[in-house]
Amino acid sequence: MSVEIEQSIARMRLPTGLAGLLPALTLIGLFFVVPVLALLLRSVTDPAPGLQNYAALLGDGTYARVFFNTFLVAFVVTVVTVLVAFPVAWMLAIMPPALASLLFGIIILSMWTNLLTRTYAWMVLLQRTGVINRALMAIGITDQPLPLINNLTGVTIGMVYIMLPFMILPLVGTLRAIDPMTLRAAALCGASPLAAFRRILLPLSLPSIAAGGLMVFVMSLGYFVTPALLGGTSNMMLAEMIAQMIQSLLNWGLGSAAAFILLVVTMALYALQLRLVGSKRPAGGA
Amino acid sequence: MLLDYDRLGWLKAALLAFTALVAAFLLLPVVFIVLLSFGSSRWLAFPPPGWTLKWYQELFADPSWIEAALTSARIAALTAILAVAVGLLASFALVRGEFRGREMLRGLLLTPMVLPVVVFAIAIYAFFLRLGLGGTTVGFVIAHTVLALPFAIIPIATALEGFDKSIEDAAIVCGASPLEAKLRITLPSIRIGIFSAAIFSFLASWDEVVVAIFMASPTLQTLPVKIWGSLRSDLTPVIAAASSLLVGLTLALMVVTALLRRKLPT
Repeated sequence: MSVEIEQSIARMRLPTGLAGLLPALTLIGLFFVVPVLALLLRSVTDPAPGLQNYAALLGDGTYARVFFNTFLVAFVVTVVTVLVAFPVAWMLAIMPPALASLLFGIIILSMWTNLLTRTYAWMVLLQRTGVINRALMAIGITDQPLPLINNLTGVTIGMVYIMLPFMILPLVGTLRAIDPMTLRAAALCGASPLAAFRRILLPLSLPSIAAGGLMVFVMSLGYFVTPALLGGTSNMMLAEMIAQMIQSLLNWGLGSAAAFILLVVTMALYALQLRLVGSKRPAGGA
Repeated sequence: MLLDYDRLGWLKAALLAFTALVAAFLLLPVVFIVLLSFGSSRWLAFPPPGWTLKWYQELFADPSWIEAALTSARIAALTAILAVAVGLLASFALVRGEFRGREMLRGLLLTPMVLPVVVFAIAIYAFFLRLGLGGTTVGFVIAHTVLALPFAIIPIATALEGFDKSIEDAAIVCGASPLEAKLRITLPSIRIGIFSAAIFSFLASWDEVVVAIFMASPTLQTLPVKIWGSLRSDLTPVIAAASSLLVGLTLALMVVTALLRRKLPT
């Protein structure tokens, strides 16, 4: 009798349902964890054991410029994305459903359209003789074509374009969860719209802005395609440099060390983002 | 007041104008590329001097474009099947299993989504060079399934969390075997999640550029690799034609998704 009970308790404590995870863990373990660890190992063994790859990367002005540039682009892209996304998400949260569905449709279309297609469109649009430059000249904003591509401007436009949906969509959810009554109450108590915005709307959406902004920043840090196509040679970003080190220079040691630095920074920021999302309190404790 | 659409006053006009501008910004490249693909100027002059279908003719006359598209479709379909199968099993374990470190394992399986693709790309490239899988369909499908797995697990696990397990238990009490109950009760109930998982994993592979650039060989290249190569050499309007077809595919997927969601309410 008591043996039976003990057995059933033991059975309850046994891990259940682990078997279903086997295929996924095999796949990720063998083809994700092992290759990434092998790459890490290569960064300290190729061409000779030691930390010379990291020393070279962190001690050289050329590489320092790439790191600086990467953070600068990611920062600018994040700030612009947040500033543009907030008013749109605000409107999306409160506009009539028919209008909101239309806007959601546009956002999904832009988000699901092939990445290279979107980047190609910007390459053509932002050219010296492209539509944007001619429109700017036609309405008299500038006399001669502005350099909009192969520089920071081009990368920022292209990246903000890609990141906007990732910022807008989660923000809409947060703004919809705020009770409009709190803002009506503020107005009744004499708060000006600006005060209500600064002291209620903004603080309540701040956790979501921070989490979304951090996600955009992390994604921008490691972005490859858009900077490679819209950026210039003088302001290369980290992902592009890594690809070049491996593909053209065949410098595996340096390339994998740079990749590992990118991995560590990304994962650290991602952990921070998880904490932010986790600490998001339901009612306004910002 | 700030969250009452009808009581925003002048602010509403300003915010709506800004929102309309952003909507135009989001729509601009997509509409532009479709118009461009019908323009007759080889130098991408816009508005074009005339309209033509010749870029589509050039596209379809070039077997390398067709072949790249077929390669992409094949790899993406295999990736979607594999990712949904592996993701389905994993989701059941993650949602219903009781074991230590479950959250950690979930995090591990979702990591490929957050790690910069370029890091994974060079890691798997080096690994496959050693295994002799570089430039093969098998290699492509494995690498893309790793990247697609999070996009399969998230919608399936979400659907499964929203499904009341007592319905499945009731079927078993009524005499169904556990497998039968899962196949006939649970899977049909979470079909929207499974369907989303299939679409997202397909797209994750179909649109994937970075791993593909490293993995591609002269005999095996996907559509994004083909577009990437053309973009680097010149900006021919044939790319606009290929891009417009991709926009068409996106629209078709959006319509199918919307219809299915309406037809199969969860």
